[in-house]
Amino acid sequence: MQDVLPVLNPQLVGARVPRVEDPRLLTGRGRYIADISLPGMLHAAFVRSTFAHGKIRSVDTAEAKALPGVHAVWTGADVTPLTAGIPGGLQIEEMKATVQPAVASDYVRYIGEAVAVVVADSRHVAEDAAALIAVDVEPLPPVLDAEAAAAGGDVANEDIPDNLVLARDFAQGDADAAFASAAVTVSGRFRTGRTAAIPMETRGVIAQYEWTTQQLTVWSSTQIPHFFRSMIAAFIGMPEHAVEMIAPDVGGGFGQKCHLFPEELVIPLLARELGRPVKWIEDRVENLATGTHAKQQLNEMEIAFDDGGKIVGLRQHVVGDGGAYNCFPWTALVEPMAAAGTVTSVYHIENVKTRFAAVLTNKVPIGACRGIGWQAPQIARENLLDQGARKLGLSPFELRKRNVVKPEQFPYTAATGLRFAEGSYLESIEALEQAIDYEEFRARQKRERDQGRYLGLGISVFNEITGLGTIAAYATGFPVTSHDSSTVRMEPSGKVTVFTSLTSQGQGHQTTLAQIAADALGVALEDVVVRSGDSRQAYGLGTWGSRAAVIGSGSILRAAEPIRRKLLQTAGHLLEASEDDLVLANGRIEVQGSPDKGMAVGDVAGVIYFAAHVRPPGMDPTLESTAAYDPSEEVWANGAHAAIVEVDTETGLVSIERFVAVEDCGTMINPTIVEGQLRGGITQAIGAAFLEEMTYDEHGQLLTSTFMDYLIPTASEAPEVEIIHIETPAKTTAGGVKGMGESAMIAAPAALVNAVNDALEPFGAFLTDVPLTPDRVLSAIPPRSA
Amino acid sequence: MTDVATELLTVDLTVNGERVERAVQPRISLADFLRDELQLTGTKLGCEHGVCGACTVIVDGAAVRSCLMLAVQAGGCDVRTVESLASGPQLSPLQEAFHRHHALQCGFCTGGVLMTATALLHHNPSAGKDEIREALSANLCRCTGYQTIIDAIAEVADGGLRAMAAGLAEVPRPGARP
Repeated sequence: MQDVLPVLNPQLVGARVPRVEDPRLLTGRGRYIADISLPGMLHAAFVRSTFAHGKIRSVDTAEAKALPGVHAVWTGADVTPLTAGIPGGLQIEEMKATVQPAVASDYVRYIGEAVAVVVADSRHVAEDAAALIAVDVEPLPPVLDAEAAAAGGDVANEDIPDNLVLARDFAQGDADAAFASAAVTVSGRFRTGRTAAIPMETRGVIAQYEWTTQQLTVWSSTQIPHFFRSMIAAFIGMPEHAVEMIAPDVGGGFGQKCHLFPEELVIPLLARELGRPVKWIEDRVENLATGTHAKQQLNEMEIAFDDGGKIVGLRQHVVGDGGAYNCFPWTALVEPMAAAGTVTSVYHIENVKTRFAAVLTNKVPIGACRGIGWQAPQIARENLLDQGARKLGLSPFELRKRNVVKPEQFPYTAATGLRFAEGSYLESIEALEQAIDYEEFRARQKRERDQGRYLGLGISVFNEITGLGTIAAYATGFPVTSHDSSTVRMEPSGKVTVFTSLTSQGQGHQTTLAQIAADALGVALEDVVVRSGDSRQAYGLGTWGSRAAVIGSGSILRAAEPIRRKLLQTAGHLLEASEDDLVLANGRIEVQGSPDKGMAVGDVAGVIYFAAHVRPPGMDPTLESTAAYDPSEEVWANGAHAAIVEVDTETGLVSIERFVAVEDCGTMINPTIVEGQLRGGITQAIGAAFLEEMTYDEHGQLLTSTFMDYLIPTASEAPEVEIIHIETPAKTTAGGVKGMGESAMIAAPAALVNAVNDALEPFGAFLTDVPLTPDRVLSAIPPRSA
Repeated sequence: MTDVATELLTVDLTVNGERVERAVQPRISLADFLRDELQLTGTKLGCEHGVCGACTVIVDGAAVRSCLMLAVQAGGCDVRTVESLASGPQLSPLQEAFHRHHALQCGFCTGGVLMTATALLHHNPSAGKDEIREALSANLCRCTGYQTIIDAIAEVADGGLRAMAAGLAEVPRPGARP
């Protein structure tokens, strides 16, 4: 099923088409989960653990149950017989699975874990009742330091006595020998903080059970309705065809909403029990505490160079703080295994030695978030490369140019086993260097330093595995079958409806995937409508891993092909022409060179549906086709970022003077959308580099539980990003498309941290704890003598 | 909860030009009132503690976080929500500019952003980029990186500046209602 299909007649692909979803969203007419109201609907509120770790002695619900307007109060004892919870594990040797209870019944293992749920006439009454529930917990020592917990000691999750989900070593070549004979070595212990995806819309679930048909419908603010419908059915013990899942408009996901959460089991069970629709909308405090966190890693890294600046070896030790349970379906490996597997990135490094450990702690589970485990090692590696460049007396551009995989080396297999069909690595660095004017910057930096102003330049060269299909998933260590499907239907009038399992959380798929479908069938954009987010159509794995552009395009082109064939066959029959002489474009099928001899696409479709006497004999009168797509190779986008910053040595604040992003995501379906992903991702990266960190105190209490404490970038922090496009079409995907949704969250934090370290170089400082908050920056600057 | 929280009070206000009278619990926020009582769901709740700005509406000419205001406090007020901006199917110039500039992605913050911008441009129709950036810092957006939002608002502000220069628009009075 891996046929590579070109976009035969690109009219819309590549065009800056304004989004078709905008008018609805601009007028307040979007329909997000909180906007859905069903007749007879009840409202749920959860009681959540205020202890990071403990044994539940009792949960007293008597007062809550007595409150007028309350319909149900469930504790773990009520829920456990109905579902065993969410098993988190992958089929990897020696990996330990965890089971996350839907509602905790014996132990609580992080602040925010659900211990009871109330259903009432209104959200207000549900919260009133929740406040009346008394939870008695015997506290246990909280495990909060993943590095220490990796060596044993106190246990975070009683099912995993050594706290280790998986530890694994990997070596290729002889890194130790390379280090022993290296001319220059650099090393650092990089800690990247715990962050969170922070979609502006929190999570939410509504469930409705129709007892006469035993049908359950679940609405959820999710990125993955199809696969999770299968999992909900399995985990609550219902037949799969009796469960449907719908993702309405979703207000941002960034990976957080590609997990199955306990609430997605509890709310359906309540709806089934009560026979009435039940709605739960997460509040922001809950989202910050329980909606999965992201990114926390320790990266100990060393890089060895020869005297020509060539990288001869890399050693890495990663510890990932996984939280209390494996998230579903990615598990606690989502950070550390990804970090180790892709550490060589764009560089040709023959001697590599890595070790990673995924460790459980008494914090909310770590989950997928834009850029997953790649962001942290990118920060470490790119900062060490600049350290190496300083030691070697080379420009950071030159050092990287000497080490990236060169055009003549493609197709290239890395020491890690990853395979790259193509990549504009050298070209990206050169484009970035030209935009920055390196020599001019160094001269200006020196002048400004003499005036007491500290400017810094940081660069970051990256690649991004995109369009994540089965081969790419396995290549990065995740044994996951990964494809998606689309159904393309041409209606009798020639209008086109596309159903796809690739949901949108703001990426604009209703526009970009319509561009693909319109070109595939030679019709106008307004003749296509794209529908997604409903498990009743076109099965798939959903939107994550920068997949939608690649897999959406592929599945739509593959599904459209038989329809296109049928249209041409029918038109050839009617026009008495050979199919090979026909051209399908601009809503018409014409005989090449004889434009007067042609038919409107809608007329041909009408003949197929409604004119049995004239359509080709034996033709099935349908114009509907479903196809899946699973890329035949790893699909790598690439690029390079540069940041110029100024560090205020009085306040420790960093301001961004310039930010340049070079992006090569192959054939761009819609450059405006690509640029939107870049600007948004870079701004999110500014949060990761400078502002965002989930902080727990020594008791495991979450200190960053509101937007007053957990800061995300505002308009004041966002720079005007300069964007340079390179288009190297993918050799192996439909239309040459590559994904790019996560690129900025891989590349940009490293560039920003690098820029600060460059600015602080006169102080001999080299910051490795991210985010670079003002106090961390100031700690690197010696106090001024009076 | 006490009787004070659950007893009903009558609130009488104008929403999007229409007079509205309802009996509500005094603890109901203006945001919940607009969403649940009036089904004006374009006003979103992103944090319910007054930081994210998704719930921004215009109350008597000023941009207000409707999650921090009680419905009963809006008695006698003139409230405008995102649903008031378009005239039938015709988007407002600001909405058109957002569409042209790709100033929205998931759309969840967009209603609040539009109301902040509407209030800003009413009081300062020729707002410069720095003023726009400052006003917009009251609204969190996780998708766009803000730049295209600023560009869209600035384009409309430029239009306002030109209209004033040409004598086509009144120079605004501070505190005037939109």
